[in-house]
Amino acid sequence: MTTFHSSRRGFLQSSAATTAAATTHTLLPTAVGNERATEPRRTGKPRIAIITTVWAFLDHGQHIGDRFLVGYPWEGDWQEPRVEVVSAYVDQVPNATRRAERERQYGFPQGDQSAGRAREFGFTLYKTIASALRRGGRRLDVDGVVVIGEQGDYPSNVHGQKLYPRADFFQQITDVFRTDDRSVPVFNDKHLSYSFSKALGMVEASRELDFPMLAGSSLPVGWRMPEMEIPHGAEIEEALVICPSDALDSAGFHALEALQCLVERRDGGERGIRRVTTLVGQAAWNAMAEGRWSHELMSRALSRADVIKGQTLVDARTQDLAAPGTLEEIVPHPQAVLIEYRDGLRATMLLLDGAVGDFTAAVQLDRDDRILSTKFHLPPEPNVAYSACLARHIEDLVLNRRANFPIERTLLVSGLLEAAHKSRTAGGRPMKTRHLEIRYRAPRRSLYCRT
Amino acid sequence: MSRPRIAAVVTELRRYSHAQHILDRYLFGYSWNGQHHLPDLDLVSLYVDQRPRGDLVDDRLTAFPQVKKYDSIAETLRCGGNRLDVDGVLLIAEHGTYPLNEKGQRLYPRYEFFKQIVDVFRQSARSVPVFNDKHLSWNWDWAQEMVRWSRELNFPLQAGSSLPVSRRIPQIDMPRGARVTEAMCVAVGGVDGYDIHALEAMQSMVERRQGGETGVKWIEAARGAEAVVRAMNAGGFDQGGWDPDLFRACLCRSHQLVPLREGFNHVLPTNTEIAEALRDSDRKINPVLYRYQHTDGLKMTMLLAEGIVNDFTFAARIADQPRPLSCQMFLNPREVCNFFNPLTHATEELFHNKKTAYPIERTLLTTGLTAAGVESLFQQRRLKTPHLDISYQPTRRSTYWSN
Repeated sequence: MTTFHSSRRGFLQSSAATTAAATTHTLLPTAVGNERATEPRRTGKPRIAIITTVWAFLDHGQHIGDRFLVGYPWEGDWQEPRVEVVSAYVDQVPNATRRAERERQYGFPQGDQSAGRAREFGFTLYKTIASALRRGGRRLDVDGVVVIGEQGDYPSNVHGQKLYPRADFFQQITDVFRTDDRSVPVFNDKHLSYSFSKALGMVEASRELDFPMLAGSSLPVGWRMPEMEIPHGAEIEEALVICPSDALDSAGFHALEALQCLVERRDGGERGIRRVTTLVGQAAWNAMAEGRWSHELMSRALSRADVIKGQTLVDARTQDLAAPGTLEEIVPHPQAVLIEYRDGLRATMLLLDGAVGDFTAAVQLDRDDRILSTKFHLPPEPNVAYSACLARHIEDLVLNRRANFPIERTLLVSGLLEAAHKSRTAGGRPMKTRHLEIRYRAPRRSLYCRT
Repeated sequence: MSRPRIAAVVTELRRYSHAQHILDRYLFGYSWNGQHHLPDLDLVSLYVDQRPRGDLVDDRLTAFPQVKKYDSIAETLRCGGNRLDVDGVLLIAEHGTYPLNEKGQRLYPRYEFFKQIVDVFRQSARSVPVFNDKHLSWNWDWAQEMVRWSRELNFPLQAGSSLPVSRRIPQIDMPRGARVTEAMCVAVGGVDGYDIHALEAMQSMVERRQGGETGVKWIEAARGAEAVVRAMNAGGFDQGGWDPDLFRACLCRSHQLVPLREGFNHVLPTNTEIAEALRDSDRKINPVLYRYQHTDGLKMTMLLAEGIVNDFTFAARIADQPRPLSCQMFLNPREVCNFFNPLTHATEELFHNKKTAYPIERTLLTTGLTAAGVESLFQQRRLKTPHLDISYQPTRRSTYWSN
């Protein structure tokens, strides 16, 4: 364990907002060209604690966490971190199986990287979340908390949801806030919890303790191909998103949040979800044949994929995947999540593992019969540059003490994802979701990456 | 109006050959403007120069019986009759087994094929639009002759790489009339195959500058780690290198920046780390550098350094702008190479409108630059390029893929 005793301990305790804003432009002196600055970063930037399940190569903990250590590309330049990592809590080390698998894949030794990062970048690893937030002292001593509870060995429930301890971590964080009578912004990677009631408890705690909270996937804030946004206040007739994986929990969340960031801009704002139905296998194909979702929207969304499979993998031909019979032939385990919103909007998520390799969406606008569609572009490994887009918003959260997009989006999608799982377990029985009467307004400003 | 009938003259038709990518788009359709688009033209005849084992010729002829294969280029254009019987020609002579010359140029028979096409035009006293994939020829004199013939016989000739028409991240174009003083492209691949892509990607940007294109006055090419490290550390174009800010912008626009520190997934390499990587023989990077200057003073650098990056990025210095303009020239993943969608669409426009979608002078210039770059590598010295005194104006509208 490496400890860095900052002379600035206690700095920024009272007025984080103003001080933080004033320090955002404190750029480091850099050497000629792109030579890396060798001085440790101690510039009075807002200080954050990273609370993660595991810190190993290309896990979220690493590829998001590292952005705050080494910076990230932004607007054609390299952005030095605008926050300073001062402490971390890491719940697990990667297990031997995962390490071996990754060593084969990436060709160099794999394992926990947090100790090495702490040594190199001068932050401290703590054995508890509370001590990480208090930095070994007696009171909260950071300006923001970044929770990355993705990957690691955790059990799954009967619905196939992985029981990541995000709500538990959050509880420990808010316990410190309560005890120390001070709160700082918190970011939570991906959905809030596998359980809507836990997720709701998290959001309620953030309101009670009056701290800004940001959460979610990188898809809403990443690149779109082509650049496309739903006009704010548009009347939307129907929407459809395609998920390229059959992992309803891990990948389905990304697709649902991508969908939600589009449809929440509709006329009247978000008013919640009434009913969710997940159909699997033949039931999904039957629903397709019955026209339970628009064939045209599915066709448009499929056309946005840059990786298409089936016969294309054999001889590289182009294909119309929406042609009769094609999907049925190449997708062995289709799943369709049918979403009925309280205001009448219908939306569908199709999980089409075997057909495409991209997250894509299409939205039917009511007024002029216009269909907008795009691909949520995920740049490849190892850079996974999409997490730079998310890191930008996390930094903004800590610097401005304000979330750039509403936590209600992720709360709603957390509940939607849970309901989709429950419906699947119940053999496709529609799940009434009275608890998902969640109302919010999307920001007018478009937040996806386009500069 | 009846559907234009198109002949294809190709070197080989196999998985991942350029002919496969383009012709399959004519046959199966492709994604365009958010829909599966079926070209409003008919591919009717095909000439294939080589038949490697496992090629797709028989498969495609069976699936699409309206396409007839002929044994000669002339017959293909005449569809077996005695006069020109098509409304457009796709000339796709990339891939296949052709010799290399001592300078490392693959001697693809584009000029030879083109000559046979033009012979049919002459004999039939009628010409139709021709699309030539990639650069016109490895031989500058021949390339000039191809353009001269198209003018003499008055048919539109369109050519070039898919890079100028592919997607960009972000979706930007060079503002028309911008006062560009220096530009750079950092890209992948090797000489005579990928240099043309990088050169044409850059050219499609800088041709939009103030005054339009005026030609290139000299080029200096170098290969290998030491030459590139020297240029990288020179500190500026006039010192034998490039503007470090442009290089940095290119690296920052890359989404496939090779992490030079083990265990990190995305980190900006220092010049020292880049130099070490370039010199590391295990990495087999073998970089190639072209530096050249346009007659109006514009300074250009093309760096092929696969293994430092694995994609195409561009940056330009514009007078009075504090930061470079930069973007990634995006190549969609290999499975289906969707960057051929906008290229194919541009050929459809050519055949429908009987007008080029962008000027042939662009590809004539990049053809000349490619040949001059190879020659400069061969002679290991800077070459004056008075023959690249090529002036033209860009299209008013942007032609990259944004729908």
